[in-house]
Amino acid sequence: MLICCLLLVGFTSLQAQKYFTKEGTITFHSDAPLEKIEAINNSVTSVIDLESGRMEFAVLIKAFQFEKALMQEHFNENYMESSKYPKGTFKGQITNMDAINFSKNGTYQANIKGDLTIHGKTQSIETKGQFEVNQAQISGTASFVILVADYDIEIPNVVKDNIAKEVKIDVNCNYKELKKGVQ
Amino acid sequence: MKRVFIIGLLLTIAGLGVGFMIYNKPHQNMESAAPDFKMPATKLFTEFNANEAKANEQYLDKVIEVKGIVQSVSEEDGKVSITLDAGGLLGGVMCQLDGLSEHKRKTFEVGEIVQFKGRCTGMLMDVVLVRCVEL
Repeated sequence: MLICCLLLVGFTSLQAQKYFTKEGTITFHSDAPLEKIEAINNSVTSVIDLESGRMEFAVLIKAFQFEKALMQEHFNENYMESSKYPKGTFKGQITNMDAINFSKNGTYQANIKGDLTIHGKTQSIETKGQFEVNQAQISGTASFVILVADYDIEIPNVVKDNIAKEVKIDVNCNYKELKKGVQ
Repeated sequence: MKRVFIIGLLLTIAGLGVGFMIYNKPHQNMESAAPDFKMPATKLFTEFNANEAKANEQYLDKVIEVKGIVQSVSEEDGKVSITLDAGGLLGGVMCQLDGLSEHKRKTFEVGEIVQFKGRCTGMLMDVVLVRCVEL
């Protein structure tokens, strides 16, 4: 009976620890000959499973804020078709979990691989990220570049000098523990 | 001949002026924006949860006025997000304060009843309204 109880306690302490955020930030930059475009999204949701290293991100395309209203309109209506594809998602995995200790304060370099879905099109991507562990807070950052054409995003010739073929994406999330039940 | 030239020049300048104004047109003023829908936060969440595709069609990009109970408040990088209780454990309605508007206050008490007006961008864990102003 006692052994059963001890085993049960043992199993629950090994239960996967999930950390999450609903206010993550993703910024993207496009540097073209005629124009520099930048937009920021502050309602990124992300969950990370500290045990397996699995990570998921989801963003609402309409929540990207641009300085110029007209640019935001074109982005949503013409390029991203966000009424048809309202979300962007990433489902992936930290591939070097042995180099990261989420229970110890410190800064860790991570290799991340997964599927990025934008505008209804999915591509496999690999990037490096950084995790900073400080007590109960884990912050994760990553920067990578994507090719606009890879996601079937069409840039008309008229504006091709305004929009770069490559877009740089910066991710910044501050995670806290996902507790079941009352938040 | 000279008159035609002057008229043409004036039209070109007017055209450029209009173009310049459209290019630099400002973001919608959220304080004066008329809401497309008014409803309790619980109703908005229920509709998205029941049929996301239908709710997207109806509510994406619309200005929605929601009333609800503050479940949690968070601030990150100066951005204040207030999550309203949607009556369940699955999620709520997250209202992010507009960065382009002046706000009378940016602190809120858990449990108080509040009213926000914002633009609907869809649903992730919560239904997300951006560019919110308090009513």
